[in-house]
Parts: sequence; C-alpha cells; structure tokens
Amino acid sequence: MTGRRLALIGVALLVAACVERLTAPGQCPDFCPSGQITIVDTLLTSSINRDSSYRGYVLAPEATLMLAAHIPGATDTLDSRPIFRINGYGGRLVLSATDTGAILGADSARLKLVVLRRDTATHNLRLQFYRLPITIDTSTTFGSVAGPFTDSLVRTVNIDTLLAQPGRKDPVTGDSVVSDDTVSHQLVVSLKLDSAAARYVPTDSGTVAYGIRVAADSLASLAIGEGTLGLALQWYLRVDSLGTTVARTPVSLGARFASFVFAPSPAPLDSTLAVGGVPSARSLLRVAFPKFISDSSQIIRGTLFLVPAVAARGAPADSFVIEARTVFADFGGKSPIDTRLGDTTVIHVGATDTVKIEVTNLLQLWAADSTHPRVFVLRPQAEAQFFGEIRFYPSLAAAFRPTLQVTFVRRFPFGVP
Amino acid sequence: MIQADRRTGGRAVGTAVLAAMLLTASPPDRLAAQDSQFGIRGLGTPGRWESVRSRSTGGAFAPFDPLSPLTEAPLADIGQLTATAVGGTSHRDVAVGGTTTALRATRFPLMGVAGPVRPRLAVAAGFTTYLDKSWDVTLRDSSLLRGVLQRYTDAITSDGSVADVRFAAAGRVSRRLAIGAALHVLAGSTRETAERRFDDTTFHTVQQSAEVRYDGLGVSGSVLLGLAPGLSIVGWARSDNRLRATVADTTSAMTDLPRMAGGGVLFAPSPGARFAASAAWRSWSNAGAGAFDTWSWSAGAEFGSRRMPIRLGARGGQFPFGPGTKAPTEAAGSIGTGRAFAQGRALIDVGLERLERRGGGLTERVWTVLVGLTVRP
Repeated sequence: MTGRRLALIGVALLVAACVERLTAPGQCPDFCPSGQITIVDTLLTSSINRDSSYRGYVLAPEATLMLAAHIPGATDTLDSRPIFRINGYGGRLVLSATDTGAILGADSARLKLVVLRRDTATHNLRLQFYRLPITIDTSTTFGSVAGPFTDSLVRTVNIDTLLAQPGRKDPVTGDSVVSDDTVSHQLVVSLKLDSAAARYVPTDSGTVAYGIRVAADSLASLAIGEGTLGLALQWYLRVDSLGTTVARTPVSLGARFASFVFAPSPAPLDSTLAVGGVPSARSLLRVAFPKFISDSSQIIRGTLFLVPAVAARGAPADSFVIEARTVFADFGGKSPIDTRLGDTTVIHVGATDTVKIEVTNLLQLWAADSTHPRVFVLRPQAEAQFFGEIRFYPSLAAAFRPTLQVTFVRRFPFGVP
Repeated sequence: MIQADRRTGGRAVGTAVLAAMLLTASPPDRLAAQDSQFGIRGLGTPGRWESVRSRSTGGAFAPFDPLSPLTEAPLADIGQLTATAVGGTSHRDVAVGGTTTALRATRFPLMGVAGPVRPRLAVAAGFTTYLDKSWDVTLRDSSLLRGVLQRYTDAITSDGSVADVRFAAAGRVSRRLAIGAALHVLAGSTRETAERRFDDTTFHTVQQSAEVRYDGLGVSGSVLLGLAPGLSIVGWARSDNRLRATVADTTSAMTDLPRMAGGGVLFAPSPGARFAASAAWRSWSNAGAGAFDTWSWSAGAEFGSRRMPIRLGARGGQFPFGPGTKAPTEAAGSIGTGRAFAQGRALIDVGLERLERRGGGLTERVWTVLVGLTVRP
C-alpha cells in the first residue's frame, strides 16, 4: 500500500518536473500569429546637410610613424622624407662610479630602424641616409632641408639586396635585416655607420640628425616606426681615460625628435568633404534624423553613401581605413568625438566608386538617445599615418550629395489576435 | 482507535502538504491548459474547466462535479471544505505539410477551494485556464531588401495565459433543485517576443518584446434538478463580455468573448455505476475572423466504489479557431482512476487522455497525463 502511494506521489512529482518544449516550425499563414515583423527600407536623400571639412588634427611630428615615399604622379611627385635627431651623451662619458672621461670621437655606430609597412611588390628598394643639421625641429619644412638632402648623402642601403644575402647579412658593410613578422612584413634593419657617416662631435654633445629618402624601381612607399618600435643608435666611442684612449659602448640612444617632411603640400580644403591626408583632415556631416525612424522600434541597418569628388589620393599600395563616428556635442571642427561606437570602411587609392559605410551602430545610438547630436564625423582610423586622402561631394552637390539608407522595423503588433 | 485517528490525520496532513507543494511550486504564468497550434492565430487555446475526475470521463461529469468550475449548482452539495488542484503533462505531435513536430508542456490548469457557509449555501473560489497563449513558432523565409533576396529565420513566441478567476455561490432551493451563480474575472498576461535573424549579418537581428496584459468579465449561472433517485439533469449558461489586451497601458485589441450554454444528464443506477453525458455550445465566432461557434459533447462512466473508482469517457466537438471556413474538429478518449486516503480526506486522481484535432491540413495528436489532488481537511 505504501509502495503504491509512493508511486502515485512519484508520478505527481514527475509531472511537475517535466520540461517544456513548445517550439514548432511555422506553417504560415494558417498556423502563424497574425502579426508579422514589418521591415521598412528608406533612402534619405536630403537629410544630410551643413557639412564641412577641417584639417590639422594630427601633424607629421605627432604621427606615430614616419612616412617615406617617392611616388611620381601625373602632375607632381609625392616625395616624403623621414627626418630625425638623436641627442648624444655630451662631452664626457661615465667610465666608472668615480671617474668620467672625455669623449674623443666614435669609431662607428649602428643604426637600427623598424620598417613597419612597405609595398612588398616594390623591387630594388633603397634607403638613402643624409646628414641633416641638428637644429631640425617641428618647424622644419621640406624646403628648409632640401640642401642637405642634396649634398649630404652618407649612406645607401638596398633592402632587397640585403634580404637576398645569406643570413640576410652583408659581410662587407656589416648591415643586416631581420624580418620579424611574416604577416605584417615588418623589417628590422641594422646599419653599420663608419666614422665618416657617424661623427660624434663633442661640441655638439654628440647630437646627430639624419634624413632618409626612399627609392625603388617603381612606386616606393614605406613607414618607419617611432617610439618603442623606433630608431636606436648604438655608438662605439673612443674615450680618454687618464691619458689612455679606451673603447666604450654605452647604451643605445633613441630619437628625441622624429618627423617627416613632404612635398607637395596637401591641396587646400574646398567645398568637398576631405578625409585623411597629412595633416589629417576630418569632415562633419549633420543629419536631420527623421522622427518616424527614431520613434520606430528598431533600426537594423543604416548605410551612409558618399560619392568621391575625385579619386582617392595616396600611395597606391596604402589602402587606408576611414571611420564614421558621432560626437558628444556639436562644436564644429572642435567637436569632442564619441569613441564608444564607430563604423569603418576601407578606401583604395585611385578608386572613384561610391563609398558605403555601415553606420547601424551610430543610428541605433541616436534612436536610443534623443539628446545625442545627430552628427557624423568622418576621419581616418590612423590619422597622419597614411598620405591617403579622399574627398567626397558635399550636400551642396545635389546630384551627388551624401545619402543615408535606413532599414528599420515597425513595432510588432503585440497583443493583437 | 485514537491511534488510527492520529494515523489518518497524519496522512491527511501529509497529503495536504504535498498538495500545497504542487500548488505553489509553479509560477502563475504556467497556470495554463494544454496548448494547440490552432490557437496561435486565434485568441488562444480554450481551457478545460474540469477536474481530473471529470476529464477522465471525457468531461461528461463536469456539469455535476462541484470541483469542476463549469457549473455552480453542484456546489450546493459539497458538504465540507474542499481544495483541489490539477497538474498535467501533455506530449503533442503536430503533423502538417508532411512534417511532424513533437512538443511537450506541463500545465497546472485548475485550482480551487469550496465549502459550505450555511446549511443550504456553499461558496467557491479558484481559478482555471480560460485561454492558453503559450506557443513558439519558428519560420524560415526570405524577402527582397535593398534589391537582394535576404533569407532569415523568424521566432515569434508567446508565453502566458488568461486565467478565469471564479467566485461562485450555490444553494439548494429544495430537495430536488439546486441553483448557482458565479462571477468570472478574466486576468492574465503573456510575454511575447518577435525575433528575426538574417543570414546576412550586416542586417542586425530584430528583437522586440512586450508584456501583454488581458482582462475581462463574465457571469454564469446553473440549475441542477433531481428528476428521480439516481437521475439528475443540469443546465448552465455563461456570458463573458470582452477580452481587452493592453501593451504598456495602451489597449492593443478588444475582442468579444463568447456566450455559452450547456446541459447534462447523470444516471446512477447503482452505487457502483454512474453514467453521464453532456453537451455545450459556445459562440466563439464573436471573436472575429477565423473563429467559429462550437458544439461539444461528451459521455462517460464511473465504476466501482468512490474509494477507488475506474473512469472512462469520450468526447468530441469542434475547436473554435482555425483556418478556412470550417471549425477544426477534436475527439478524445480518456481513462482514469482515483484513490482516497485518510478516510476520504485526501484524494489523488490520475487520468490519461488521448486527443486528436484536425483541420486545415494540420493534425494534432496529444497524450495527456493528469494528476489531481483534493484535500478535505
């Protein structure tokens, strides 16, 4: 009797513990809910207006790398030359805890630089090193160092020849190259500079400055690292130690100043919407976001269409990424950018195709926060790290103005049988 | 004797505890009846206002059962305070378009308490499922978006029900005649979601949800007449006003609810055999397009002592919602038994029902296991 009772209780508990499974394939319309998800797609042709461009956000000395290029164009040649200054140890070197000695000069030096980006299709890539005045600074222009770049060549190295050497090391010159990343093709180039190329002048505190020109069989373009991936100069010094000349190899030195100078200067801003270049340019687009969309339940796709006014300029191998972001407040060119959300697209140099940027995230933010300024900022993702620049037709150009295509969902008719 | 009383009292308490556990173990939104795909396009799946005892007889005993909230008049004879609850698990095969899908659900469709307050007057309160609105539909389809055919998967779900909260009173007017009436408060909610996932992830997933609240009112009345010893008939009628659906305090739909009427006959030729039959009509077509008036019938029998009877029954009729111009049909057979404990103070009823619904090219076959607990403290 007790067993039967327990069995009954067990059945009761089993019933209570059963798992629900209600998912079934829909056979519409007969056995589906009457309400359907309604999607609307609309093209906003006149919602973007009051657009403008601004330049000067990131300057060459502020860039995180140095651009070297020699790219002949139809009307001119883009010529960009890295310049850098390495401060020395001064006139004396610490020999021991209690003793210093006068630096007499240098036997040689070794300069290490990291090529972060290059066109692997370019052949016979050559780096030419020039001695520059140690007075170079952020005000140095392409023209002000044109002379030294003509008559002060101290060293030339052929990267392709060096890469072809056994062990990637030239036994004659002492140069070497290491490819430390098969994905990004970064190169670590180590150059031996003799005493003529690396002159340690104690009266200048050992400060030296160099400039680099790049050349190749075809379009030459590369980027040289700064900071942690930057230049390093290892001096091999002769020091006076109580009347005896001794050799010393102090710690290597990094560049205290690194930048690049280039010509021609970027074309001045006009009515088009410029994005990219050096110094970097940004464009602001103000959007009259329709209430019927912001009040709709959900935006599932938004695409910004931009028509290039001219082909994107820059080094042909250097495709660059531009991003669309929004701002916290609309102060024109000084608007603080909201970096929480952004959408990007790749720009190929020379292309004139209409550029599409998926801006769904930004539109969803606008729909969720009615106080957020409805402003797009277009800027290069890596500012002043590419010469690439693109210019789009502004809203004034009626036939080619920026447009916004929005796909959104109407509110589902919940509760309707 | 005292020991026996203590033992039976202990059993009653234990059974009451078990009943309380089952009554409270489930959240209110699962207080629903057995679902049907036919109800997705309509208002939902109407509940069965029957205790396990009645349902095991095909529903034929429901008009005469004081613990089934179909009629009120039988409450007049309830005699003592009684609480009851029903739980059930259904396994449903849905066959349509050459595919069969196995579904499963557990529901607690009925709870109630009733008892006498005067020598000739009894009252009852409780709730049962008025409409079950739990379903989950997935759909593969495509549409032209931005000039490209985009494939997607929709998932539209509803989880919840509309409960019928009943406050009933019944009195015995004479030895042969009992009458009853009830007020029905319809209340409930569903959590509804609509989701669309595109194969092309450039389109973000559509996700919307809302809590839909429902309310309505109804009244009912019934008459139980004893024609002869062992022979009774019952008649009942009910009218509900409308079901109002609100989403975020805004009325999204107002649907007229049916009027209903029915009757039954109970014949007990001996203490060990009871037979019953009943029929009901419901004007569900008030609910609008895709809804139909329905007729339903049932016949059943109960054999053996009330301590451990055997029950069986059959029923047929129509389902109120479906595609096309004809109401889907449904037919069921059922069997069950029960067991009284603690000198009849606690009862466990179990039942098994096989149901088939057909209409519009869809066939549903359902096995339902039912367990009922009744406590008379």
